[in-house]
Amino acid sequence: MAATPIASPIAVAMYPTLSGITLAIGLIVTAFFFIYEATSSRKNRSLGMELSTAAAASLFLGFGSLFLLLASGVYV
Amino acid sequence: MAAKVSDEMAARIWIFVVAVALSLSLPSFASSQDLQIVNAERRIDLSSHIVKAFLTLKVENIGKNPAADMLLAFPPTQIKHLSMVQALAVTGKKKKKAYLPLDVKPSEQPDAPNDTGYFLVTFATPLTPGETVTLEVLYILTHSLEPFPMEIAQSEAQLVYYRDSAVILSPYRIKQQTTYFKTPSTRVESFTSVEPANRAGKEIKYGPYDDRAPYSYAPVIVHFENNSPFAVVEELVREIEISHWGSIQITENYRLTHGGARHKGVFSRVDYQSRRSISGSSSFNGLLAVLPPRVNSVYYRDDIGNISTSHLRTGYKKSELEFEPRYPLFGGWRATFIIGYRVPLEDYLFEAPDGRRYLNFTFGCPLVETIVNKLTIKVVLPEGSKDPSAVLPFTVNQDLQVKYSYLDIVGRTVVVLQKDNVVPTHNVPFQVYYTFKPIYMLAEPFMLVSAFFFVFVASLAYVHIDLNIVKK
Repeated sequence: MAATPIASPIAVAMYPTLSGITLAIGLIVTAFFFIYEATSSRKNRSLGMELSTAAAASLFLGFGSLFLLLASGVYV
Repeated sequence: MAAKVSDEMAARIWIFVVAVALSLSLPSFASSQDLQIVNAERRIDLSSHIVKAFLTLKVENIGKNPAADMLLAFPPTQIKHLSMVQALAVTGKKKKKAYLPLDVKPSEQPDAPNDTGYFLVTFATPLTPGETVTLEVLYILTHSLEPFPMEIAQSEAQLVYYRDSAVILSPYRIKQQTTYFKTPSTRVESFTSVEPANRAGKEIKYGPYDDRAPYSYAPVIVHFENNSPFAVVEELVREIEISHWGSIQITENYRLTHGGARHKGVFSRVDYQSRRSISGSSSFNGLLAVLPPRVNSVYYRDDIGNISTSHLRTGYKKSELEFEPRYPLFGGWRATFIIGYRVPLEDYLFEAPDGRRYLNFTFGCPLVETIVNKLTIKVVLPEGSKDPSAVLPFTVNQDLQVKYSYLDIVGRTVVVLQKDNVVPTHNVPFQVYYTFKPIYMLAEPFMLVSAFFFVFVASLAYVHIDLNIVKK
């Protein structure tokens, strides 16, 4: 009777650390995005740069908020 | 002449052979007159409000056909309260005794006298004519101790009636039988006397009775004192929520009552606290719940809020939660509360060899020595689970529901298992199988990622859109 236990793909003890790191990176990239928006003029703006920064920021912020929910006990 | 005789003989021989072949090919097993019980010993334990009866039967096949099964009979009043019947076949002698579990099923017989209920016990190997087998049967009755007097004051002891028969009800002839009743204390008000019956301390012995016909019945009533806690959970809803991110959250909603003699008159707290041994001897104020070993985040609360009168002791094999309701429970009083706790996922979720996942959890109620009138277990499977199925060693009512929880789009499948009249002997493992593709776990973080991305795109659109009426 081969019954292998199934565990979470990421160790549960790592959730608080991971949430802190990913949220910090996500907030830094968000800062880059908004600084770029504020400092560039209509002519120098590049849509590709904006969208890629937005994508990276939302990726880190999304995973960071997931790990934050898991670390605080809301096992979604 | 010789030819004619031999023709007739040949015809006769042929008919005989065909008749024998037909009778051998038809399966023929013993009817109820072919078995008899050589020796029966019944021990009924009346120490707590859950009545446990242990029956040792030595069954002999006195017929000509092998017997594949036998019937256990119960009077109609007992069949309603019968919670569990188990049978074991005893093989070997003395030191080398082995117990083989047998299959027991409720059965309907067409010619049952006086609405007798039956259970069919299937032997491991059919009993050949002349052979005997020893069976040990355990059956558990709930709600069978009737409080009499039905209402008692705070300082009175609780006396109950137990109705049964001195002679074991059986569809077979019983050559010799004895019945023992074990009471929790030496206070026995009365017991019906069916010769020979006598009482010694905490044990009442009825028997030995010789050679009773099938379906013989001698009703007796034992009136004795039973101050054990009559803890009855009227309704228990257990929700087991599986999260593949690492934990299983269990929430249990209890509606607890005291199922003994109803309390009449006033409740004097002074009497209760000063003379605890006399006052409220049949009441209880503490309960014990046995929880899994690696349990964390245990909470105990009710509608008002958190209840702090509880003690949790975690251990390696099990954890024990000793908790007290807000007030002691006397006869007829109720308490409603919620107990919740969390266990790690790897203790209970496994992968089967065929690729399906299954939850291996314990059925029943964690409270010790408690009857549950109506138990509902809801296993909430994560979003994206398909083909749920439950495997249990006994019959339950199964159903499927949908529950919407955190970050859900289509909802989570819930397997609902419902059973009535549950006793602590039902605390055995059961499995719930389902299929799940691990890629579905990414649905939740990507929902959050897309929400944040939408915010960024909205700010981008705001920055890019030119709302000037006059072109600069």
